[in-house]
Amino acid sequence: MRDLLVVEDLQQVFKGRKPIYAVDGVSFRLPEEPTILNLVGESGSGKSTIARIILALLRPTAGHVLYKGVDIFTRDRKWKRQFRAEAQAVFQDPYSVYNPVYKVERVLKLVIRKFGLASSAAEARQRMEESLRAVDLRPQEVMGRYPHQLSGGQRQRLMLARVYLMRPRLIIADEPVSMIDAGMRASFLNILLDFRDTYGISTLFITHDLSNAMYLGGEIIVLYQGRIMERGETQGVTKAPLHPYAQLLMSSVPVPDPSRRWEEDVTGLALAEGGPSTSSQRQRCLFAERCPQSMDVCWQARPILRIPDGADMAARHVACYLYQEEQKRG
Amino acid sequence: MSTLLKIRNLSAGLQGRRAITQVVSNVDLDVEAGEILGIVGESGCGKSTMAAAILRLLARPQALQSGSMQLTLEDGETYDLLQMPEKKLRQFRWRRLSYIPQGSMNSLNPVLRVRRQMTDTLVEHGLTKEEALGRAGEVLEQVNLEPRVLDSYPHELSGGMRQRVIIALAVSMRPALVVADELTTALDVVTQRQILQQMAAIRDELGTTFILITHDMGVVAQVADRMAVMYAGRIGEVGSVKDVFASPLHPYSQALIASIPQQSGQRVEGLSGEAPSPWNYPAGCRFHPRCPRVFEPCSEQAPALRPQGSGRWAACHLFEPQFEPQNVSDQ
Repeated sequence: MRDLLVVEDLQQVFKGRKPIYAVDGVSFRLPEEPTILNLVGESGSGKSTIARIILALLRPTAGHVLYKGVDIFTRDRKWKRQFRAEAQAVFQDPYSVYNPVYKVERVLKLVIRKFGLASSAAEARQRMEESLRAVDLRPQEVMGRYPHQLSGGQRQRLMLARVYLMRPRLIIADEPVSMIDAGMRASFLNILLDFRDTYGISTLFITHDLSNAMYLGGEIIVLYQGRIMERGETQGVTKAPLHPYAQLLMSSVPVPDPSRRWEEDVTGLALAEGGPSTSSQRQRCLFAERCPQSMDVCWQARPILRIPDGADMAARHVACYLYQEEQKRG
Repeated sequence: MSTLLKIRNLSAGLQGRRAITQVVSNVDLDVEAGEILGIVGESGCGKSTMAAAILRLLARPQALQSGSMQLTLEDGETYDLLQMPEKKLRQFRWRRLSYIPQGSMNSLNPVLRVRRQMTDTLVEHGLTKEEALGRAGEVLEQVNLEPRVLDSYPHELSGGMRQRVIIALAVSMRPALVVADELTTALDVVTQRQILQQMAAIRDELGTTFILITHDMGVVAQVADRMAVMYAGRIGEVGSVKDVFASPLHPYSQALIASIPQQSGQRVEGLSGEAPSPWNYPAGCRFHPRCPRVFEPCSEQAPALRPQGSGRWAACHLFEPQFEPQNVSDQ
């Protein structure tokens, strides 16, 4: 079976006095069937760079992105147009998407016109209203308004209405809920779940907020300094992470339950440097300096992402020597 | 525990050409000495305006409308912050009260080393140069930063380190109260945890009281002792974090807690509708158009914040004895 999206050994190096390895050998795939894949990591982990590459907004230093088997950087313009219709982006700041001097429904009208989705003005209006209802917006409350008159949650849901009109195969959502209030977040995430279940739309969900990923479920990839540390089913990885970095990350999520407070004090732990890796010694585990369980081998060679030894976990992959028996002994 | 700050009937708004648009209305709140009090609410609910009002840092067009704020220090002396002359207030800030505004980790002067920024502040408040330097090193140690940070420029530090410098600055004069607005919002989860645990450690060590303003229910659940829930400029509920999360009284707190995504497979419903802006606050209880348990008095009369026993407070007609709703079953 053909995969919807294949990301192969992606690398993005920003050249400079100190080259920045924003993405360093990342591979993953989205299957044909509708899926939600969460890409999580701290700032500088390369998640937004990956999103930009997949949207063909940025050409990677090395590696490939195949959409339905075709390299997205092909020169075939007809294919590219089709790809842009099928892979839709939802970005962090819904305000910057709108032109402040136009009424908000323009983002819907443009799509209808550009892709010929309606043959008459009445049909166009009907399609618009239908799409607004699909994302829990009341057409009479939104249409005819200007961007500043809507709340962040409304603006972001309007972006989903646009996505709904397009009926893409894939949504690439980069921190879409970070500017939405808690009360609204759940309804936004529910729409993504509905899109998957009802219309067969897959989502690549990029976030630093693990609680969103936990709610969406599906699969998860944990990034650190441009590399994949662990991947697997979201529920398994968030409940029982294997990689020491994933463990630190998961245990630091502020769980909104005062009876499950943090136990261990991490104030003395080495601080994250923040930002992507500029380390020149690449042939090692990049988490080694912060890892409480680091061994000699961690400094000598880059651990490959693979199925952990001695564990019976479907589809779990981890890049850590702790789970590679021959390395541990040697 | 003694009450450090008694806020009564505090109202503040935005001064327009003709009238003031009220943003924060009739807030009553007690802050206990040595506690971490979380103030939660959605964006635009008036949390930050209230924080600025507590420090009397409202800047035009923000305007204070009414209220009193009694600050009782350890030595038993009581001051009304709203009556205090500006000159005295300047000495009070930083020494007794300090403020960490939203995004302040980006407000360090980029062309000065941390050393200069920390000692300048301390010298301004009466320490000698040597004392100031000693104190700066001491507080940096308290926030787990190495002394070499003193010789760094802000851009050389990560976001988490800069936020620690800000916290060190805020507590460097040993204030009784620190008001922190969205202290960890821009930080990664691991760094966020470190900063919040740092704050709790400082409270344990120095007895500093913190008011933590946040939109993140997880942050409050993890570190605060008590919490106040704000909606549209009013306080809906106050209580211990344990109590409010276990059995929220106000329908808004109930909806807020019910809408927290827990885990996959269990869908939660978001709160429907939009929070009103100060220009169109509804009459009566401001939550009534979105409230699932709305009944007659809600649209006419604003409920007052009243004690509900065991240290809990709620502003909701469901708890007003004279209304005793017939059509609504009590939980």
